[in-house]
Amino acid sequence: MTFFGLILRQIHARPLRALLTAGAVAIGVSAVVALGVLTASLKLTATQLLEVGRADFTVAQKHTDDLINSTISEDDMAAIGRVPGVSRAVGALISTDNYNADNPLLIEVGLKPSDQEPFGVDILAGKSYAADSTSDVMLGYVLAKNIGKQVGDNLVIDGNTYHVTGLYSTNVSFGNSTVMFPLSKLQGMNRLAGQVSLGFVQVDKGASIKDVAKRIDETFPQLTTIRSAADFGRADRNLTLISAANTGGSILAAMIAITGVLNTSLLSFFERIREFGIYRSIGWTRRRVIGLVIGEALVVSFAGAFIGILLGWVTINVLEQLRQLRGIFVPTYQSSIFIRSLAFGMIVAFFGALYPALRAAFVAPLKAVRRE
Amino acid sequence: MSSRTVDAQDCAIVARGLTKRYGQLTVLDGVDLEIGHGEFVVLVGPSGSGKSTVLHLIAALEPADGGELIVAGQALHRHARGMSRFRRREIGIVFQLHNLIPRLTARENVEAAMFGTHRGHRERTDRATELLERLDLADRADERPTTMSGGERQRVAVARALANEPKVLLADEPTGSLDTASADIVLEIFAELIAGGTTILAVSHDARLNAHANRLVPIVAGKTEPAAP
Repeated sequence: MTFFGLILRQIHARPLRALLTAGAVAIGVSAVVALGVLTASLKLTATQLLEVGRADFTVAQKHTDDLINSTISEDDMAAIGRVPGVSRAVGALISTDNYNADNPLLIEVGLKPSDQEPFGVDILAGKSYAADSTSDVMLGYVLAKNIGKQVGDNLVIDGNTYHVTGLYSTNVSFGNSTVMFPLSKLQGMNRLAGQVSLGFVQVDKGASIKDVAKRIDETFPQLTTIRSAADFGRADRNLTLISAANTGGSILAAMIAITGVLNTSLLSFFERIREFGIYRSIGWTRRRVIGLVIGEALVVSFAGAFIGILLGWVTINVLEQLRQLRGIFVPTYQSSIFIRSLAFGMIVAFFGALYPALRAAFVAPLKAVRRE
Repeated sequence: MSSRTVDAQDCAIVARGLTKRYGQLTVLDGVDLEIGHGEFVVLVGPSGSGKSTVLHLIAALEPADGGELIVAGQALHRHARGMSRFRRREIGIVFQLHNLIPRLTARENVEAAMFGTHRGHRERTDRATELLERLDLADRADERPTTMSGGERQRVAVARALANEPKVLLADEPTGSLDTASADIVLEIFAELIAGGTTILAVSHDARLNAHANRLVPIVAGKTEPAAP
């Protein structure tokens, strides 16, 4: 019999206890997986918005609650275009609308026809709307397919009928599910005359992106440049809050799981005091007793973590079906989330079993073997 | 077996003025013992006289309150670190109540005593199987103690105590719950161990066992008495 074999033997001898411990870990891990995937997915969806513009970096209003609520005046955009090192600065207005029950969060992009090419828009069918049109729109080809529209069709958004003049694709998949309006029309619909949400900046060839971004940050203190997802929180408080909620939720899940493991391990310890006394009396070191107790917890928790990952995946699939999250939440499964969840399970097992293991290691052998 | 004179330099166990108290109760009040290598000594005396406590102190399961105790060359009265190693390498102990792990099989109980030794897992299994065969338990090796008779459990406990080839074997009523045939097997093994230089210190009320001892050491009210002629 190997020591690992002994660990498995002990787990097998107490199936209910093992099941309860695995259950506690599974609940914690499923919460970590669900929160992790949810946060990563929302972050990816949000940061894809920044990448639509084929730009070196994006400019947004500092500290908005949601990036879509960012406002930058077109004058500022023009001024940014004149900053040394800036090759081109394109402003786009972003808003959302409810199209129908299946598309409750339609993303609308307001863009001048002249800015479409630098923005990365490739017209696949039909043609662009005119800059001053009030009834024409273009559809991302994925959205068009989803809602069954093509060039020449009409569609109704918020009670207004629009004519589809063209279908387009963008450099990132997110943009293909949007509807594009003339900038002035979308500004009017949102009562944001002269305003855009985001600025997409390309720098001159050979210029330092970092230096140009720094120059803009210094010149426009109300704005912030976003070069990566890591910078995103400076502009979007929601995402910062979601990340914080993820961290907080994970800590809470860890505490619940640790308490579960601690509880079952401690009960197991009281049941097995005599056994630990016997091990000590036949020459087991304290370290070996600790190894046995923590080993049992790690093995059970490893199994629990796998169950938790499965539960987390089921939870994500349920969330994906929620109408409120359609269009915003596209699950992104990153291997790091699963590795982190497994590590979480192991850490929970270690800390949950540590105290009972120490108690087991320090039982007085003779007192313990005398217990009935 | 005949008694023999023991040279103090050649002792496996030396106890001088050993005392042990539990609260106000004095259990041992001056135990003196000198047991040579390869000697078989039985502690005798009425219940509650402190015989088992002497075994427990020698097994380093608890410290003495006073006196001097040297076992297999290790001064236990100082109760230094490394007592687990001492119990694993130098001592084998058979408890009166067997103290087997109920959820492990007989073989696994014997193997458990060999964790932390130089033996690999196959060697541990082979050694356990060999000992159980020697104690006529080959067909019961994969049974749990809960399905065994008292005599079978006692023999598993003996096998476990012998697993690491201890220099000193301590046995609390090792034949107390055995029938004649089983007791004979245990006594045969004890004779082989003594011949091989193992020291055996037992506590027993069993005349069969006592008849095989080199010496009987009476303990009365926590004190060793001069041996009966």
